[in-house]
Amino acid sequence: MQLDLFSVFRNTADFNGVLFYYNGDLSQNVIATMGDALKQRLESQDTGGPKARKLFSSFIEMVQNALHYSPPVPGTNAQRVGAVAVGKQGDKFYIVCGNLVESRHIQRIRDKIEPLQAMTLDQIKQAYREQLKADHSGDTVSKGAGLGFLTLARDASEPIEYSLVEMPENRDVAYFYLKATV
Amino acid sequence: MNDLYLARTAHSPEVDFRFSSHELTLTGEAYPENAADFFQPLLSALEGYLRGVDGQEIHINFRLTYFNSAATKMLYSMFELLNETACTSNRVILNWFHDEEDDTILEFGEGVHDDFSALDFRPVAVDLATA
Repeated sequence: MQLDLFSVFRNTADFNGVLFYYNGDLSQNVIATMGDALKQRLESQDTGGPKARKLFSSFIEMVQNALHYSPPVPGTNAQRVGAVAVGKQGDKFYIVCGNLVESRHIQRIRDKIEPLQAMTLDQIKQAYREQLKADHSGDTVSKGAGLGFLTLARDASEPIEYSLVEMPENRDVAYFYLKATV
Repeated sequence: MNDLYLARTAHSPEVDFRFSSHELTLTGEAYPENAADFFQPLLSALEGYLRGVDGQEIHINFRLTYFNSAATKMLYSMFELLNETACTSNRVILNWFHDEEDDTILEFGEGVHDDFSALDFRPVAVDLATA
């Protein structure tokens, strides 16, 4: 990358209040390290209490979701990749995450997120509690027992946003972008 | 029944299950990569322990400050086991430690209290900034 392009990239990130950006291998260790960095960053900015906790929770749900659903990089030993940014605009924080997902999961993702976008916080809390008590022994895809997106929606101050971008050159996968505002 | 101890890691809590003194403590954060892999052995050990006790007072110290969605589900399975024994064989006291500044853990605990009413739920407010 040329330095002037990197400068544009950095300025754009600054302008959008990006606190940090990561693109690359996702693993549990990388996630734990980023989580720690995020906590320290929030502490140094005097963002504590419920807001910091919600932001941390949303961050973990999103990157673990990416780790779980993204297909392994071809030619690697189950390596997963993804991009994540945390930023602040006004008094709200946002997290954006982007990763590949297998096309067979697309409908499942839509079906899980879209109803949440139309729900009130009380309805979300209600749905969360019902899902928590339900029996998920038949669900072999989800690792979070279907609670991941509900947890995100519960902690967010605005409806969660998503976008799925299909890739014409590879119909087996699509790019999945997710945004939560806390 | 041997006691069970696991040291805290970056993404899993300290587990201090003192079956010999009927005091089980979870401390820290829980967001392991695979919650079932982490919690299943704990649930099995707990189940084994509960099969062998009767008429006891069991103390649970819940000191988790964060758990992800997958861990939440596994914790519910744990409360289910405890609630069952509280209905039939043992008294279970659930000491629920929560940050006095943040209601989230307390609110979650109140949900647990509603769903598992046989547990003797006792909220304990702590100042996590100094704890």
